[in-house]
Amino acid sequence: MSILINRDTRVLVQGATGSQARFDIKYCLDYGTRIVAGVTPGRGGEQVEGVPIFNTVEAAVRSTGANASAIYVPARAVAEAIDEALDSGIGMMLSLAENVPRHDAARAVARVRRAGAHLVGFNTNGLISPGQCKMGGIGGDRTDAIYAPGRIGVCSRSGGMSAEISYTLKQAGLGVSTAVSMGGDPIVGLRLVEILRMFEDDPETDASVIYAEPGGTHEAEVAEAVSIGILRKPVVAIVVGEFQDHYPRGASFGHVAAMIQSDADSASAKRKLLEHSGIDVATLLDEIPDLLNKAFRKR
Amino acid sequence: MRLFEDQSKALLRQEGLPVPRGEAARSADEANQHAKMLAGPDGRVAIKALIAAGRRGKAGAVTVCTAAQSADSAARILSLTLDQKPVEQVYVEEAVEIADEYYLAFAFGDLGPRVVASLFGGVYSEAFARDSPQALISIDIDPVEGLRSWHAAALWEQAGAPSGQIPGLGALTVRLYAAFRDHDAQMLEVNPLVKTAHGDWVIVGAMMEIDDNALFRHPAWQSQAEDTAGPGGRPLTPGERRVAEANQRFAGGATRYIELDGEIGLLVSGGGASLYQHDLILHYGGRPANHTDFSPTPTPDKQVATLDAILDRPQVKGLLVGCNFLQLARCDIMMQALEIVLNRRSVDTRTFPIVVRLFGPYEAEARAIAARFPGINYLPPGASLAQACLAIVQAVRERDDSSHAPQENNA
Repeated sequence: MSILINRDTRVLVQGATGSQARFDIKYCLDYGTRIVAGVTPGRGGEQVEGVPIFNTVEAAVRSTGANASAIYVPARAVAEAIDEALDSGIGMMLSLAENVPRHDAARAVARVRRAGAHLVGFNTNGLISPGQCKMGGIGGDRTDAIYAPGRIGVCSRSGGMSAEISYTLKQAGLGVSTAVSMGGDPIVGLRLVEILRMFEDDPETDASVIYAEPGGTHEAEVAEAVSIGILRKPVVAIVVGEFQDHYPRGASFGHVAAMIQSDADSASAKRKLLEHSGIDVATLLDEIPDLLNKAFRKR
Repeated sequence: MRLFEDQSKALLRQEGLPVPRGEAARSADEANQHAKMLAGPDGRVAIKALIAAGRRGKAGAVTVCTAAQSADSAARILSLTLDQKPVEQVYVEEAVEIADEYYLAFAFGDLGPRVVASLFGGVYSEAFARDSPQALISIDIDPVEGLRSWHAAALWEQAGAPSGQIPGLGALTVRLYAAFRDHDAQMLEVNPLVKTAHGDWVIVGAMMEIDDNALFRHPAWQSQAEDTAGPGGRPLTPGERRVAEANQRFAGGATRYIELDGEIGLLVSGGGASLYQHDLILHYGGRPANHTDFSPTPTPDKQVATLDAILDRPQVKGLLVGCNFLQLARCDIMMQALEIVLNRRSVDTRTFPIVVRLFGPYEAEARAIAARFPGINYLPPGASLAQACLAIVQAVRERDDSSHAPQENNA
């Protein structure tokens, strides 16, 4: 199995006629993703890679039964696009643009939660359930070289590190149930702990690997959930960005979200917090498979 | 972008919020002219350094004086340097008779907007917040519903405000949230929020930060939005400015570029992989000359600008082009940028170490470009980010060793 998307997911693409969307649609179709519709107002009736384009999400859903949307519109139009998708009953959304205005992001996430829907992003390259479905640019033109099907859940704010972790697992003979690039903007839809709870409930995921960086409270929530026993499957983390401890606060080196506001946000504090809860923490990617094997032996 | 106090206050005044009358001045003389117009019933004015930095009170950059003393006070403040920046302007405003001073701030957590209130205005500081957490009340704001009157009343009740003050405080809090939201602020801090001796509420201290990503809705600010963009608010270096200009001019995702003290130039990509590689360079004993995080672009222009900024600095002894499995980006565009810059600058790649870890679309074309430059170490498929970082640290160290050797012979 997998979380969030699988072989039955019927994907529509909002902003399908833009160059990045066209690029990704081709590789997603090649991979086997069922992209059933695209939406660009004013371009209804056209096609992208053989996918029919509609003027509205409502028309696309009515004609094709799409139930998930990959949103490629620019940051300033993201909140409106999410509202449109929710209005047509879309339950799973991926929002790729980075630097969505904060007030827009907060309102959109609140609306998604009220609707009981799921939003991955903002500023994500996508998610993949290897062998079944991928949404977004994740894996590019060599998805199989990076993401092997398997039983490890991967979740990372960074799309690139999602790939690096999954590639490291593949080299060690392990595979991925679902890999989620949860998004690098400060406010995101699904939180890290929520994704790990989905892995916890997925009978075909045995353990998870998470990527942690400075900024925000996602890791603190995970440490808490592990400490109180909500998360029982093994979790292995790689923590990066410890160099930032040496630079002034308020400087953002990577994702905007990776800005250290307080001592608790720093990479070294997160490492301590995660280790204290019982999570094994790697410094190098290559250590991850060993830590997973160690965690499996302990059980 | 962080607004100066006069800008924040002008914006709040325009929303009809109670802000003391005030004017900015560039000289002691000008400050004195304003002070004569602005002095309150007791003849006094407040004079403050007009600078986007906190803790001005502690630094002696805020004073209350009579209009007659205002020229001397302004001259003293205009001679100060705060956070490495000379004070170029002062803000002169009517002084307010303070009965109570409270603290109120709006900001974002990673769930959404929050509001923080405290009865301990004026003295509020990061240290105070840490040592006396019970004196601060903080609540999440539902961005769909907004901050409603009863939320604001409950906030101030919990903070310990007397019942009689709650309606006035609550109404002001609701209006301030509306200003925070409508102006796309990511931070709005009112400190102190003052109850005057006459019983009026007045916003005496105001600091506001507008979300850079929403400036398209606020074009008036857009032109002013770059000077404080260095880490810790320092001005951009010439190289950083060059990259910032390239970000404005050319298509594709923005490149983040921050200059540091080390010797290894980094042209690395990925919000996460850039942090990871920076850690690894240090881990292996090297020191980055800069941090970068570049995004895929349809043309080489941005990478050319970044490479020029990196190679302009004489301290740079080697270059790592390190990318994660980029998926979206064309490798050849990256290598075209490198080719343009190496040729134009006549860099001898046999003595200047360059390590490339770049896999993805158009990789064969990228490798063909690298092959034209003897000495470039384009790592084989599957090499890890760690191997790339180790390779550049070692190459720079070996080059240092060999370049030192002849000097020793000469000596």
